Amino acid sequence: MSSAEGRGRTVDEAVDAALIELKESRRNVDIKVITETPDEAVVEVTVIDHAATASSGADAAPANGKAEVARGLVEGLLKLMGVRAQVTVRPSSEPITLDISGRDLGALIGWRGETLRALQSVTNVMVGRHLDEGERIIVDVERYRQRREHTVREIAMRAARQVKMTGDAITLDAMQPFERRAIHLALEGDPDVTSGSIGEEPERRVVVGPRKAAAE
Amino acid sequence: MAGRAAERIRKAIALVNSVADGAGDEDITPTEIAEAIRDCLELSEVDQVANVRRYLGEALDAVSDGMPADFVAMTLYAALGALREGGQTG
Repeated sequence: MSSAEGRGRTVDEAVDAALIELKESRRNVDIKVITETPDEAVVEVTVIDHAATASSGADAAPANGKAEVARGLVEGLLKLMGVRAQVTVRPSSEPITLDISGRDLGALIGWRGETLRALQSVTNVMVGRHLDEGERIIVDVERYRQRREHTVREIAMRAARQVKMTGDAITLDAMQPFERRAIHLALEGDPDVTSGSIGEEPERRVVVGPRKAAAE
Repeated sequence: MAGRAAERIRKAIALVNSVADGAGDEDITPTEIAEAIRDCLELSEVDQVANVRRYLGEALDAVSDGMPADFVAMTLYAALGALREGGQTG
């Protein structure tokens, strides 16, 4: 499995730099953000060996039985739904993440990822008895969730830059919980800005503001 | 026609998902989730499509029984799906 480190002003730029080096497209790689500051992002991009990942499904069973149980159940569920897709366990992901790939899987993502989220809930209910307390399975279709997380992190960084320049707080668009969480995590290490949420679901929004103002 | 009901069910789902995903920026209590589901049950729209009220009732029971958030979410998605199907066929 080949990998490359990418650097850029944003995560997207860093990923693009690594992709150029690897001569690969975004959907064939696994992206790990190593560092992310308002000025620079460093990522590690690893090419996914689909053949190895698929065949490792059975091999991985003893090493991670829970992941394999979940993979098998989701595969069976998709088959019953008449969806032709491949389910793989994302290598070294914590929490366990199942990647669903195939053609025309837009319907499996649904409006604002609603169907994907429902599929994840069903998966967790099905696999629940195999999981430890608090442990959850993440389901991703065509890396939709991962791409959304990257996008909202970009938005967070842009907002942080703007807050530092103007000193004014910025209210972002309404987002889903996992997206808000990605923003809070992206900004938690920033000494100059702080993030919080306002409003009620499903219109809950993240507010990025100067940290000094929050402390006073 | 079922727009308001769908909207309220989505709100309840979002609350449950906040708990399940641990967004870390809110403290949602089971009471709030139960209230959101009761808000759905108050609408007459939920009686116009088969099974919607039943699923919502099951979701409410699941909350009061302390079932996992994913189980509650799954039941609410079932209600939303039934509502959508009912809207398409009816």
